[in-house]
Amino acid sequence: MKYSIIGNGIAGVCAAETIRQLDRAAEITLIGDETFPPYSRPMISHVLDGSLSSEKLPIRSSRFYDDLKIIPVLGSRVSAIDVDRRVLTTTDRKETTYDKLLIATGADARPVVAKGVDLKNIFYMRTEAHIRSIIECLPTAETALVLGGGLVGFKAAHGLLKRGLKVTMLITSGYPLSMQVDETAGQMILAELLKSGLTVRVGTSVMAFEGKGKVKRARLSDDSTLSCDMVIVGKGVSPSLAFVPKEKIKIDHGILVDHHLQTTIPDVFAAGDVAEAVDITRKRRWINAIWPEAAAQGCVAGANMAGRHVVYPGSVSRNVMRVMALDVMTLGLVNPPDDFGYKVMAHADRRRGRYRKLVFRDNVLVGAMLINDIDQGGILLSLIQNEIPLKIPDRVLMDPSFNFGKLIA
Amino acid sequence: MKEVIVQPEKCVGCMQCMVACATAHSQTKQLYTAILETPLPKPRIHVGAGVFNEGFPNRCRHCDPAPCMQACLGGAIFRDTATGTVLIDPDRCINCASCAMACPYGVIRFHEDCVAPPGKVVAVKCDNCDQRQSQGVVPACVEVCKTGALIFDEMTDAMKEKTNAVARSVSSGAETYPVSPVFALFKASKKAQLAVQ
Repeated sequence: MKYSIIGNGIAGVCAAETIRQLDRAAEITLIGDETFPPYSRPMISHVLDGSLSSEKLPIRSSRFYDDLKIIPVLGSRVSAIDVDRRVLTTTDRKETTYDKLLIATGADARPVVAKGVDLKNIFYMRTEAHIRSIIECLPTAETALVLGGGLVGFKAAHGLLKRGLKVTMLITSGYPLSMQVDETAGQMILAELLKSGLTVRVGTSVMAFEGKGKVKRARLSDDSTLSCDMVIVGKGVSPSLAFVPKEKIKIDHGILVDHHLQTTIPDVFAAGDVAEAVDITRKRRWINAIWPEAAAQGCVAGANMAGRHVVYPGSVSRNVMRVMALDVMTLGLVNPPDDFGYKVMAHADRRRGRYRKLVFRDNVLVGAMLINDIDQGGILLSLIQNEIPLKIPDRVLMDPSFNFGKLIA
Repeated sequence: MKEVIVQPEKCVGCMQCMVACATAHSQTKQLYTAILETPLPKPRIHVGAGVFNEGFPNRCRHCDPAPCMQACLGGAIFRDTATGTVLIDPDRCINCASCAMACPYGVIRFHEDCVAPPGKVVAVKCDNCDQRQSQGVVPACVEVCKTGALIFDEMTDAMKEKTNAVARSVSSGAETYPVSPVFALFKASKKAQLAVQ
């Protein structure tokens, strides 16, 4: 059996490992754009802030491909898939045939829409290569502008601050992490950011970048200008699927997959940030472009490709981050739609920097947000993922002393 | 292979396992000196309050597959193939808390530790007292448990004993108390305390 996997991110790597476990004789080809050994994408920010060298990024040994007898085709992108002939074409016009295919190309940083984006020293922060070019630029920069108040924006701002730059963070919405948290938490996080020496401007976006060759200024939506020597854009990601034959493989925002992670074409699977599966809490199709789901999907897709019937239960959006003195964990549906049927419990203790919010639907936990006291968050996630109806009073989950023992009556 | 088996119905919440665990993971291994150490040694077993505020000893189950291991961003969590113990490499850990988000039992904590690089906060959890076991000593929490809530046994034997206890309790002429009546009394008093409050 000939397996081809496009993408050597965590989904592709997990799929390859699973296939090898189940099918010793399989011929596995892994086509990857990046030549760096399989590494931890979420950790690149630690290279930016100087706490980690890039040699520490790989999460598999340098012998990974040899050990698993995988044929690596690195540094090349797939340009076309012929699903009828089962042939892949790469940008260097080489053709590869396959019996089963996994598309795990992930997502690319969403480009910023503004004039002058072609100027030098405007960066994205998605790959190890991006980080390398950002670090190369650091000695020439004193002030930096970070676009986006999401996770990438956070990590970029934190890293640049640690490198001694003056950093301004520009957030289009009214408070940071607006996609993950509610306003109460957003304001707590904003206060924490300001305390750290960061300049934050909310409700503002960039209209244009100016400078001679290199970026020197940004013109903002409120008509003011801001001088900056470099810019990092963190405006989210979008699935990399330009090469996917859309008339054959059905696409919404991402590649549509069924509960075995198979696309609308038999023997073609998709996993990771490029795949659009079902969100357990939202009860609809959704892409949760996060590392743990990509890893889980890679394993499930690999097992199904190798002939086992493994069901992917759906994804749950989640994130955990440490913002200076605040530990922030968000799980599932934190901001439920203004709809009937949701019960929200929230308690903020600003003095101690604590906030706890739980969202229930029909006695099932569907969302949670914790600021500090995050140790027990995994139990809440497990309740959400498995849609377990609560048998104990819901207020017990609100108590900071909540622990696994409370669930065993 | 023997392992630590938890029988929560026998826990009285004395927390001696926590003290013993912290001591066993200290530099000096003696309580009187351990409390003077920097960083202060901390337990890897956590006695929480159960439904009726009775004790609930919570420790790492060393799951297989382990959700924390799959979620670890830095590849710091690994399994010792010889013993099945899930371990965290403090040098690789980046303190991202992804493991805490993945652990369905809530047994991972984050703090400085004497085996971690000085000043670095890392994820810490039960290591099955691998150091003690390699010297032929039972895990510290088991050693100090006075009630049998924590035992060190072959899983098959413990399962068999539990099955037999259940069988006896439903048989005619059954022993009335497969578990010492003290535990039932203890639970009843905890329930009463809660009701009074």
